[in-house]
Amino acid sequence: MAQPLLQATTVAKAFGPVVALRAVDLSVAPGEVHALLGANGAGKSTLVKILTGVLANDSGTVAVNGEPVRLGSPTEARARGLAPVYQDPALVRDLTVTQNLRLTGVDPAAVRRELAAMDLDGLDLDEQVKDLPLPFLRMLDLARALVFDPQLLVLDEITAALPPDLSERVFAIMGRWKQRNRSVLFISHRLAEVREHCDMCTVLRDGRNVASFHPGQEGGEAQIVAAMLGEASAGVRDVARERRAARERTEEAPRLVVRDLLINRQDAGVSFEVSAGEVLGMAALEGQGQDRLFEILSGNVRAAGGEILVDGQPLRARHPCDAIRRGVVLVPSNRLMALLPQRPIRENIAAPLFNRLRRWGPINTGRERRQVADAVERLSIDTRAAAQARRLSGGNQQKLTIGRWLAAGFRTLLLFDPTRGIDVGTKHQIYDLVRELADAGAAIVLFTSELREIGLVCDRAAVLHNGAVVAELPPTSSETDLLTAAHGLEVTAV
Amino acid sequence: MTATPQAEVHTPLPRPSSRLERFGRRQGWVVGVALLLAALVLWRSSQIPAFGAFEVRGIVAGTMTLALLAMAQSVIVISGGIDLSVGAMMVLVNCIAARLMLDQDLGTVVLVAVLVVVVAMVISGLIGTVIVVSGVPDIVVTLAASFALAGLALVVLDGPGGGTNLRFQELLVGGFDQPWPAILWLTGVLLVVWLPFKRSRLGVATYAVGSDRAAAFLSGVRVGRTRVIAYVMGGFFSGLAGLVTTAFTGSGEPRASIGATATLTSVAAVVLGGVALLGGSGTLLGPVLAAFCLALIPPLMLGLGWDPNYAEVARGIIIIVVVMIGGLLQIPRRSR
Repeated sequence: MAQPLLQATTVAKAFGPVVALRAVDLSVAPGEVHALLGANGAGKSTLVKILTGVLANDSGTVAVNGEPVRLGSPTEARARGLAPVYQDPALVRDLTVTQNLRLTGVDPAAVRRELAAMDLDGLDLDEQVKDLPLPFLRMLDLARALVFDPQLLVLDEITAALPPDLSERVFAIMGRWKQRNRSVLFISHRLAEVREHCDMCTVLRDGRNVASFHPGQEGGEAQIVAAMLGEASAGVRDVARERRAARERTEEAPRLVVRDLLINRQDAGVSFEVSAGEVLGMAALEGQGQDRLFEILSGNVRAAGGEILVDGQPLRARHPCDAIRRGVVLVPSNRLMALLPQRPIRENIAAPLFNRLRRWGPINTGRERRQVADAVERLSIDTRAAAQARRLSGGNQQKLTIGRWLAAGFRTLLLFDPTRGIDVGTKHQIYDLVRELADAGAAIVLFTSELREIGLVCDRAAVLHNGAVVAELPPTSSETDLLTAAHGLEVTAV
Repeated sequence: MTATPQAEVHTPLPRPSSRLERFGRRQGWVVGVALLLAALVLWRSSQIPAFGAFEVRGIVAGTMTLALLAMAQSVIVISGGIDLSVGAMMVLVNCIAARLMLDQDLGTVVLVAVLVVVVAMVISGLIGTVIVVSGVPDIVVTLAASFALAGLALVVLDGPGGGTNLRFQELLVGGFDQPWPAILWLTGVLLVVWLPFKRSRLGVATYAVGSDRAAAFLSGVRVGRTRVIAYVMGGFFSGLAGLVTTAFTGSGEPRASIGATATLTSVAAVVLGGVALLGGSGTLLGPVLAAFCLALIPPLMLGLGWDPNYAEVARGIIIIVVVMIGGLLQIPRRSR
């Protein structure tokens, strides 16, 4: 085999006590689209930052075309032919696009040519970055990277926020790069993309590379999942479904009843009920009022009309605190919104506990610590970065947002897309947790943008369309049926 | 699920905004402050029977120091920092200049003037370097620096004293009925120093660093160096403010409270002038206009026959109300 374009050998990096990379080897051949995979917190982003000069590795070597290099800055990395597109667009919000290009020393005309090749020449480069939608910023960032004509294009979860048609254009560029005998390092949580477009993949787990193989081969997807999860996975279990089958329906009054709730004044109104021990799945296309519905239920926003009954009593929340007192709690999709990013795990879990304290005076730290330790253990939160919640990986943050309610106690749980941007392993832990909580008597409403999850964890599915529940379907419904209903169409065959 | 499974989706490009929309979005605040200033000037001129060159000179020359300090503060705030030592720097420069300029001819005085501005730039650059290298928050370092500079001013001049050259005074702030020197100097500094800086790569980098340090770094900006340069620029403007004080009063005054008040007023002008305290946006013209608005309030109160002590209360309320209105006006944009 020819000399690899990029060769990283035993690269390691630690942030204080938190080890991000233990020893990673990565080799990218010329003309190869190479996928870098791994669970959240496995070290993908850290590795990308080392390869592109943002971070310095503690040990190990990086070689480009066989020549060992030390990349001190993004500029040096670009000079070596490594151009990145990071997870968050590296564009300054308060500047116009043209000014941003000037900072990097890129000719706007060249960027315009790249944009034209992507059929995006309608973008106005004199707009301020903050006035442009995120998908286009990603594409701009990509166009800027292409101008450097890099040997290796590094794409860190670029497709995560892109609509399908823009993703396709990214894949077209990856194909073009391959034809020119140049390489791409591609990071994505979407295994289908990886299977279809990548020649090789390297899987990271716990800061080490655990496998490298061709992802398109027979059983590639299962192999990837197995490698990402390690031994614990040994065949991803479907505990949720088993549990659900075993559960018997109790004939008590529903925990949460929503009647003709108006999200907007002109809507038809949302009605549904959830009983203790039940998980109600909610599916909807983008923008059908689901975000507002969850805010209303959690007491953050007031409805335009209709009523909410909790245990048969009407709930008129003026503040989330009122809803929390009645045991109705929300886990929002934006994890950092729910957490205290600068504070330790302990305080994050303990914060909602304070609501329950009806008295003044010091907090009983002994009891608090016990409850927190209990929650951390039940969720298997990785506590290496215990000092600050913002340093946890996405999956662990999500567990924390659920965990803080575990300690505080609740009766009705509202989960808004709890697995967005989370790796497969953690997703399954969260599914298990949701079922466990329901078995323990909680009523759960789960909105999900992944229809698969309806079948995996829910007892019933309510489909929201235009501010109204248009259908209630059994969890065994096919994704096609759910999608048909979500478009506001009649589902014929049930 | 964001899209239908098979349907051909085409993500529409964002609608391009017109020139007028863009101007409103980016310069709207400055236009608003300019209108406020025009209204205040009209009001003031209606209070005085003969509103002429003498009154204009009084306002412009009297507000020049504050306007220059507002510029100093603005550059640093735009770069994502804050400087609580600009007032003390002005006092120090005033004392050094008054001591060295006493009974000198014009040539020497001009030489001293250049020298003290350079000294201010060097000190301010050092302060910036300490902030960048040590990682101690800027608010702490500059507050400490303000004590040190105020102390140094008292070492240079242990009481009111010193002097300067009359010709120099006239050149900088004009005679009693000459408003033009002060106006020309202010617009000159904005046009000759600020505008080219803002349009240079360094200026763009300054905004970038203030807006998003991480993104600026990833774009290849040398973040530390850019931040230090913003402090050097700040030192230049506060040095000029010190010179103007010397020319306007004709002496040196080492009282520390002058510096402290001036610093806080400069922050007020920055806020009122539409420079985001978080950094990365705004311009220098806004704070300069705002400085004049703030300076016009006490004489207006006096003209109304009110107790001038209420002027400070009025200033405070005006800042809060204006910034609040500005915030309310921006809500529809955010929700779009």
